[in-house]
Amino acid sequence: MGHDKMDHDNMGSDETRLNALFAAYRDACPDPEPSANFMPQLWQKIEAREQTSTVFGRLARNLVTAALALSGILGLAVSLSHSSMASLPSESYVEVLAEDQARESLDYFEPVRIEPAADQH
Amino acid sequence: MLVEFELIKRAQEGDGAAFNQLVLAYRKRILGTIARLIGHPEDVEDVGQEVFLRLYFSLDQLRSAEVFEPWLYRLTSNAAYDYLRKRRRRMESRMADLSEQQVVMADALASEKVDRDEGRRKGIREAVDSLLDGVSEEDRILLTLKEVEGLSLKELGTIYHVKENALKVRLFRARQRVLKAFATARKRSVGTSGPRQ
Repeated sequence: MGHDKMDHDNMGSDETRLNALFAAYRDACPDPEPSANFMPQLWQKIEAREQTSTVFGRLARNLVTAALALSGILGLAVSLSHSSMASLPSESYVEVLAEDQARESLDYFEPVRIEPAADQH
Repeated sequence: MLVEFELIKRAQEGDGAAFNQLVLAYRKRILGTIARLIGHPEDVEDVGQEVFLRLYFSLDQLRSAEVFEPWLYRLTSNAAYDYLRKRRRRMESRMADLSEQQVVMADALASEKVDRDEGRRKGIREAVDSLLDGVSEEDRILLTLKEVEGLSLKELGTIYHVKENALKVRLFRARQRVLKAFATARKRSVGTSGPRQ
């Protein structure tokens, strides 16, 4: 009982002391006078960030332009390759091979006709 | 409000001179708040410039000039929060690790025995800084705005868009942690400075 009361009193005393400490802290940290460089430095920082964002903006715009150009070139290349494919034979590789095979067979296995010599008559 | 709404609107429209006036009107108050939030006078101007830099690049997002001040406070606490996180040094340096001198200083202050010369101010700053190092950066900022800056729960609610009850609970817990650390350090200081046999 006695201990409880003492703890409670101590707590109350600590609360008061802490409040006093916070108040003293307020006085120990008065609003400081800004230095003469405050405004020039601030504007320098603003300009530096603006420049950075301009550089990044320009870079981003350039990247977008390059990407558009690249996709245009790729599109052109694809359409050109399509048009050149149009002139190619429409048969498949196997069909072309089979056709060649047949032609070669004709070349090699066509019966040879031997005309009788005219002077034998 | 330290300025007319018209000035804020002009600054929002990109008027550099209006923005300049806005900064001139608020910078001292903001620097003071930052000084108490971060507890390191040598870095106050840097953080202050960061606040106004963010203000410059986000002014067009401000819905109306009426909410300019809470919004500026939000930018200020965000910049202080970023600073404190970067500077998350001495995590072990809670109140329990305060030097005996700092504890005696804190104690002496609480009983108003000290005069306010610069050396003692420094001692107070260091003591409170170490005390507040014992809570998270978010709680440190909340606690400082409430206990040191004297903002009301309503004002804090407007700044953070948080319900007052939630803030109250959070502040209570943070304060209890700081209070406990403070009491422990005091006991230790009394124990070490007591009569020797």
